[in-house]
Amino acid sequence: MNKQKGRMGFIIACLSPAVILFTIFMVIPTINVFRMSLYKWGGFSNNKTFVGLSNFKILFKDDNFYRSFQNTILLIVIVTIVTLALALIFAGIITRIKVKGQDFFRVIFYIPNILSIVVIAAIFSAIYDPTNGMLNSILGIFREKDADILLWLGDQKIVIFSIAIALIWQAIGYYMVMYMASMASIPESLYESAGLEGAGEVQQFFSITLPLIWTNIRTTLTFFIISTINLSFLLVSTLTNGGPDGATEVFLSYMYRQAYTNSSYGYGMAIGVVVFLFSFALAATVNFVTKREPIEF
Amino acid sequence: MKKILSVMVSVAMVVAVSAGCANKEVMNNSTENIAQQTQETAKETPKEEVKEQTLKVAAFEGGYGASMWSEVVAAFEASHPGVTVELTIDKKIEDVISPSMKAGDYPDVIHLATGRQAALTETLTKEKGLLPLTDVLEMTVPGESVKVKDKIVGGFTDTLATNPYGDGITYYAPMFYSPCGLFYNAGLLEAKGWSVPATWDEMWELGEKAKAEGIALFTYPTTGYFDAFTYALIASVGGADTFNAAMSYQDGIWEGEELTQVFDIIGKLAQYTEKTTVANANDENFTKNQQLILDNKAIFVPNGTWLPGEMAEAPRADGFKWGFTALPAVKAGGSGYSFTWFEQIWIPAAAENQDMAKEFIAYMYTDEAAKIFAKSGAIQPIAGVSANLEGDNKMFYSIYDNGAKATMGGFAATTPVEGVDMKTTLFDTVNSIVSGDKTVAKWQKAVEEASDKLRAAME
Repeated sequence: MNKQKGRMGFIIACLSPAVILFTIFMVIPTINVFRMSLYKWGGFSNNKTFVGLSNFKILFKDDNFYRSFQNTILLIVIVTIVTLALALIFAGIITRIKVKGQDFFRVIFYIPNILSIVVIAAIFSAIYDPTNGMLNSILGIFREKDADILLWLGDQKIVIFSIAIALIWQAIGYYMVMYMASMASIPESLYESAGLEGAGEVQQFFSITLPLIWTNIRTTLTFFIISTINLSFLLVSTLTNGGPDGATEVFLSYMYRQAYTNSSYGYGMAIGVVVFLFSFALAATVNFVTKREPIEF
Repeated sequence: MKKILSVMVSVAMVVAVSAGCANKEVMNNSTENIAQQTQETAKETPKEEVKEQTLKVAAFEGGYGASMWSEVVAAFEASHPGVTVELTIDKKIEDVISPSMKAGDYPDVIHLATGRQAALTETLTKEKGLLPLTDVLEMTVPGESVKVKDKIVGGFTDTLATNPYGDGITYYAPMFYSPCGLFYNAGLLEAKGWSVPATWDEMWELGEKAKAEGIALFTYPTTGYFDAFTYALIASVGGADTFNAAMSYQDGIWEGEELTQVFDIIGKLAQYTEKTTVANANDENFTKNQQLILDNKAIFVPNGTWLPGEMAEAPRADGFKWGFTALPAVKAGGSGYSFTWFEQIWIPAAAENQDMAKEFIAYMYTDEAAKIFAKSGAIQPIAGVSANLEGDNKMFYSIYDNGAKATMGGFAATTPVEGVDMKTTLFDTVNSIVSGDKTVAKWQKAVEEASDKLRAAME
């Protein structure tokens, strides 16, 4: 009994620092965001006016907010699907097939992930440059001489995809390494017996590799949602600043614009609340939908 | 169990990420209490007659560099025994000072212009957090026998850029000013035998001539530069009254006959704008648009006098020579207009050492301080300062001597209106006009709508 008590005490002592820090720096601020969203406040003075749900009422009529919302959802969907597919394919190829210089590719693919987003913005602004950029120079070989040049960061119909490409480029390596780690733990014997029974590489990938790393894929789906929301803000603020004319505004950049540039801190927090609830709900939904009986080997 | 754990982990991550930005809040609240306590204890101790005092000055480090501020501060300390100035200077000064400001610890004097992305000056204005400077204008310049208001060039303290509420009370003191207008390659125009257009009709003619040679008429760094451009255009269309009416959101003004001309001119200019401009009109690539002028690919770019310094290291076409002109007149025989942009210095209402702060601002207008600033190219609106300029700068600042009229100011302060931002609506849309995504009529309508909403928020 006494031993049991001592053990409990030890557990509490070990957990309390983390719990206290988590409460102070995570839980209370989150509650504060919710509280501030009910006020009209510029961020500095003491003139906070309680306005109830007025900020949310304005928000649901705000076309610019819907536009930034659409952009964010589009980015989450494109970046997740394309990165997931490419990362899986590359991971499958590097782990399953003997390629010369495997380690080299592993490092090369991972490099974009170490780069800061500011560097990535600089690299892509050079790639997308309308006159001397790499992309237009290569495309110029195949296109007619007097065809209109493509403005990767200027055409409102393509600029959001230009952002998506940069995000995918920087994310692939990270997820590839994660998938490779779990693929490496699948016993070789499974592939051998599948091979003996006549399954090809592709079938092996879909029937053995994919089901066995499913838990890992589920975890990364949550990462995709979180990181796309965050990184799209960073990339947009350095690369296009939400432009041209709001075509690449994502909801965190819109939140910044409202909370600071437009001096409506309370309104910014209301946007924060919606972002919070949205990402929370999306992560939960994705988790629920992808639920499968875990397969053990 | 595993599943519950993974759900919990993902939930925790989402919470962590979404809450990250709010961390400051709590920290600030707790430090606020401490700051209040210290303020209270400070009040209890009676002040002595001859005292050592500290003045906290925060200044924005612009293109003129930081050293002129340290020099001025040293000179101020030398002329004011017992005063120690704590100078904070940074290129992103708002990020440095705003956390402690939120905690109640304000600098006594802040040199930071309006129109920055973080909008600290505007936020404090909208929150009524500024100290009126009316008595500073009445003060005698330290060590001299002139009043501050007599030393500042006329007109500078009568605008919405110094009296943000439009009530005649000055809240910002004008500091370094710069005429804004159109920059061009004077060498190119000379070589081609083209003259600088005096009216917009001549401008369009030049546009056609240039187009035939594969040169675009116009480019712009980012849409942010349309502020000075549009303000000057409004003044040139309708004079000071229309300008002030537009800046204070008068009903129907943006859809009136006069301002329709403004929209039409910008709409037409959009057709003469260099094709790649929109793609580079962002903070990362705007210098590529400025480079178009140096490469003779476009003729005019709206900008301020800092442009030649900003592009000093850039390669340029043979025979390149900076030229600078005011906006052309709308009608033949009318005068050109140039917007005068200036930086502001102000005192937060929550500043502790307000008397010394006022003294410091008055000191900014001494000959001693003006000389130090002018050495770095920072020109204050003090009579006679621009007379001693040399080289390119002399040409830039003499723009008004050549018949161009000056216009100053900016939008009136309102209480913040959620989701409505006049500058975004009025200026950012230019990108859509150039790329053809929006029509001029739609743009004009959106501006009038924003103006209606902001008028309701004026007091």
